[in-house]
Order: sequence, then C-alpha cells, then structure tokens
Amino acid sequence: MGNSAGKSALCGGGDLKRLSFRLSALFLLISILPLVACSGFGRQDSPTGELMHLRLPMGYIPDPQYAPLYVASGKGYFAEEGLLIDFDYSSETDGIALVGANEVPFSLAGGDQAILARAQGLPIVYVTEWFQKYPIAIVSREEAGIKTPQDLIGRTVGLPGFFGTSYVGYVGLLSANGISQDQVQATDVGFTQVEALLSDQAEAVVVFANNEPIQLENMGVPVNTLQVADYIDLVHNGIVTNEETIANNPELVEGFVRAFLRGLAYTLDNPDEAYEISKQYVEGLDDSRRDVLLASLDFWRADTLGLTEEASWQRTQDLLIEMGLLDKPVSDLPAAFTNEFVLKVQP
Amino acid sequence: MQRILRFLDAQPTWLTILASLIFLLIAWQLLVIVGGYPAFILPGPADVWSQFQIVLADGRLLHHSLITISEIIPGLLIGLLIAVPLGYILAKSPLAERLLSPYLIASQAIPIIAIAPLLTIWISSTYWSRVTVAVLVVFFPILVNSITGMRSVPPEMVELMHSLNATRGQIFRKLELPAAMPVLLAGLKVGATLAVIGALVGEFVQPRSAGLGYMLVTARYQFKTDLVFVLLITLAVIALTLYGIVVLLERRLLYWQKRPENSTALSKQTRKDLGWETAPEKARYVEEEI
Repeated sequence: MGNSAGKSALCGGGDLKRLSFRLSALFLLISILPLVACSGFGRQDSPTGELMHLRLPMGYIPDPQYAPLYVASGKGYFAEEGLLIDFDYSSETDGIALVGANEVPFSLAGGDQAILARAQGLPIVYVTEWFQKYPIAIVSREEAGIKTPQDLIGRTVGLPGFFGTSYVGYVGLLSANGISQDQVQATDVGFTQVEALLSDQAEAVVVFANNEPIQLENMGVPVNTLQVADYIDLVHNGIVTNEETIANNPELVEGFVRAFLRGLAYTLDNPDEAYEISKQYVEGLDDSRRDVLLASLDFWRADTLGLTEEASWQRTQDLLIEMGLLDKPVSDLPAAFTNEFVLKVQP
Repeated sequence: MQRILRFLDAQPTWLTILASLIFLLIAWQLLVIVGGYPAFILPGPADVWSQFQIVLADGRLLHHSLITISEIIPGLLIGLLIAVPLGYILAKSPLAERLLSPYLIASQAIPIIAIAPLLTIWISSTYWSRVTVAVLVVFFPILVNSITGMRSVPPEMVELMHSLNATRGQIFRKLELPAAMPVLLAGLKVGATLAVIGALVGEFVQPRSAGLGYMLVTARYQFKTDLVFVLLITLAVIALTLYGIVVLLERRLLYWQKRPENSTALSKQTRKDLGWETAPEKARYVEEEI
C-alpha cells in the first residue's frame, strides 16, 4: 500500500524510458494526424449526381457580409455551373493552407495572406478581387478631434494585435501619410476595440470600417472615422485557388468565378433581397446587421467587378516588407494573381 | 521485438531517451521524404532546427518564452494556493462539499476557450487575464487530488494523534499534509503541464504582442510551419521542465517512501540478488511482497 505513490511517480528509470518512448510515439502521431486529415479522406469535391460538392473556407463566422456568396448559392448561380457549395467557416489561414495543399480548390483570402503564403512556397493564385477597397478604418470619439492621419501623432491607438489585416491597414495608413510607427502609441487591445474605445483604454481603435463604426453609431456614440482606403490601395479579400486547379481544371475556376461575380452584382443591385437570402444561411439573423451589409457595398463596387491591379499587389508586398512580416519580395509576384478568369466571364 | 525491448530496458535511462529521440528524428525525416510533403505542410527536422537557430539567435524565442513562463508560474501557484485549502475544506466538511461540489463539477463542463475572451473584458489587464486562464485550467485537477489526498489519511492515525493531545494544526502539519502529499504532488504534476496549455489558451485568445501564443498566431499568419514546430517543441520542453521540477520536489518531499519498483535505480548485482532478472521473477517478487 505504502508503495503506491512511488509506483505512480513517473520519475523511475524504467518508467522514464517508457515515458520517453510514449512521448516519441505521441509526437510522431501528432505529426502524422494532420496529414491523415488532409490526405484526401475529407476531400469533398467528388461529383454527387449532377452537382459537384465544394467545401469553401470562408475565414469568419456566418455573416451577411458574405451575402454575394449566399446569393450565388440561393439563386442557383453555383448550381448552374454544376457546383454545390458547403460553406465552411474555418479560419483564413487554414483555408489558404488547404488550397495550397490542393485539398480544396477555393478559399476566401486577403492579398496580404496570399503574398505571405506564396513566400512560403504555397502555390496560391488570387483570381478575383472581391473587396475593391481595403475595409480597415481608424475610429475615434468625435471629441478626440482625430480628423486626419496627422492627428494620430502622439495618440494611443488600439489594435487587435500586431499581425493580420487590421495591422496591415494601420501601418499602410501611417506609411501613406509619412508617419512613422514610433510617432503613434500603438497598443494591443485584442478583439475588444469597441470596449477599449468606450473605456478610454485607447483614443482611437483600428476596426473593420463596415462593422464597428456602425455599432458605435447605433450606440449613440459620435465618432470620426479615417478610412485606410482613402489613403492607400491595398489588396484585400478575394477568391484564391491554386496553380494545379488552374492548370488541370480551368473550367472549374471559370465557373466558380462567374457564379460568384453574378452573386456580387446581384447583391449590389438588390441589397435588401440579398439580406433576406442571407437569413437562410445565417442562423438567427435579424435585421440588426442590415446596416453592416449596406456599409459593405461601397467596398465592393468597381467598374469591372473582381478585377485586380498589379500596383496594389506591389504596394501590399512593399508594406509587408516594411512591417517585417516578409523578409524579401516574393520571387514572382505577378504569378500570385490573375485577371484571366474575371475577364473571361465578363458578359 | 521482445528482444529489442529487453535490450533497451537493460540500457541506462539517458541512452534509451537518446535512442528514442534519434528514432523519432529519423522517422520524421523519412516521413517527409517518402511522403514528399512541402515544408508548409510538414517541415523536416533540419528545417525546424534551422528556424530554431534563427529565433534563438535574434532573441525572439527567449523573449517570448520568458513572457509565457511568467504567466505559467503565477497561474500554477495561484491555482495551487486556491485549490489546496479549498480541497482541505471540502475533504473535512461534508456540508461544504454538498454546497460547492455541484458548482465546481459543473464549472468543468464550461470550455475555457469560451470564457477566455470574456476575461479580457472583465479583467482589463492582459497579463492577469492570461494568468487567470492558467489558474482556471490548473485549479480542478489540483483540487480533486487535494480532496483525495486529505481523505486518504487513515482515521485510526488521526485518533492516535488525538490521543496524544495533538492540536488541529499539529495533526495537519505532522499527519494530514505528509499523508496527502503523494496524491497532492500527482495533482501538481498534472497541473504543471496544464498550466502551459492554460497560458497558451490565454495568449491565443488575446494574441497581443507578447508570448509564445502570440508568436504562434503570427507564425501561422505568415505560414511559417517550421516556426510553428519550433514553438510547439519549446512549449513541450517548458511543460517537461515544469514536470521535472515537480518530480524533483516529489523526491525531496517524499524521501521516506519506499520505491521497490525503481529497478534501474538498483545496481545490476542487486537486481540479480533480488532475482529480478526476468519479468515473471520480478512480478513474483512484488506479489510476494504484497
């Protein structure tokens, strides 16, 4: 009886050996598991009847901001291309990794992520620019008097973190206005920007221009908003695929892009109907998010929907280097994007 | 296979650990070569080693590791300081147990990942909200072991202490605490490894500009899988180190315990004398002892 505690201690020589073996085996298993998970068992792009099932990583929770995709699905645009879309709300990073490994053919992703992925050897290709304007903004209480980027100098600005879309937009805004990062007191407030602003943890916060400013206005808080897109053109969310899909199945890419752009155009023309369609895909959606969709429309509009520009890619890459997120320029930046399919599907 | 295992069992512990590490590295590299996986899916050991050297040389790994450790240690200690006294109270007072245990058990059904973002709002300090996550994670296993440990004291021993006019404090110090110590330390071992997970969960949810969790989030954002591996291994090393510290503490505090199964601590001659050359003989010995 008295030995039981001694027996349970894993520090004994024999037990330590067994422990080391078990740890090795466990580590190996952990290394293999993701590969098994990605090994094609979970592949969902096999044809079922007439329609091909496609899993689409979205990068965020179900939200009316995805209305163009919901419309394309709900109105049968994807079905007309022989596609049935399963919306998958996993993270943007996971989506890109899956596309890079050719486990899924498409994902939604930002331009910054596409460049960073290319830099690490992922054969990602951005085929449609959905957001024509970068949707990040710096919002502050009206009484703080932050009306121009220069007013940020010496102020405390709250960021969700020193990575990701918000950080890219923030540095882009400063850089475009000749303000160095040292001149502004950036502080990380996590994803609680509204609370940070209201509790005076920060004088201004970096937010999504189509979301938090509306929340604050609905709360009756008068705010000033600096839109990043007013100062610098960076590449934001769009559709990415991979080189293999483009080479082996260009019709699939063309069909997907066509259906998406039809959904986008319909949403821009009929936002209220698009919002109603979104309710079929976003559980429990009431009318409180309608303003978010309406505010998003302006970020999507373009003369030619989906078209992307090389200059924006160059600017985004330069910014990533300036921020230290990218060590050097990617070897073939123009290979990271193409307008081929957007131009093909124009009516 | 049995032969190999018997051969390995006869070797010194350090050699077995080294052999298992080499086996692991070879298997890992083979997997990368045979599978033909690109580095962003599965980097090889050489890629990971190279990335390790980079982040070690530029000081990032040490800087962020220290921040994470500075959250783990208070998390573990605070968890311990709350769980042990509470465990004592629950072990001694059936009323307290009836009142509190339903809530304590129910609290374990709440996923910490769901509470962690709320902690950011409730506790304005990033640091303390991360520590709180670690406290919440380590609290329950230490509590359960504290209760079990305190209850493992034989009542007749308590009666003996009473007959010797021992005070409540003396009974606790001289009898209950030492008797509960083996189980308590087992809980601390579990807590030590869980504290690492707790701090990491805190950093994941609040990926501010510091800590291994932040570094992990950034590495994933940059698709640097080799760096992700470096960080995972670092976290494992931190957890193993903490575990080892508790084991050393256990050896020091429980020096009075017999350890007959600790075969490798005995010389080969002693093992021979004991007739432990083969497993059945060892089993027979233990059986006879019992």
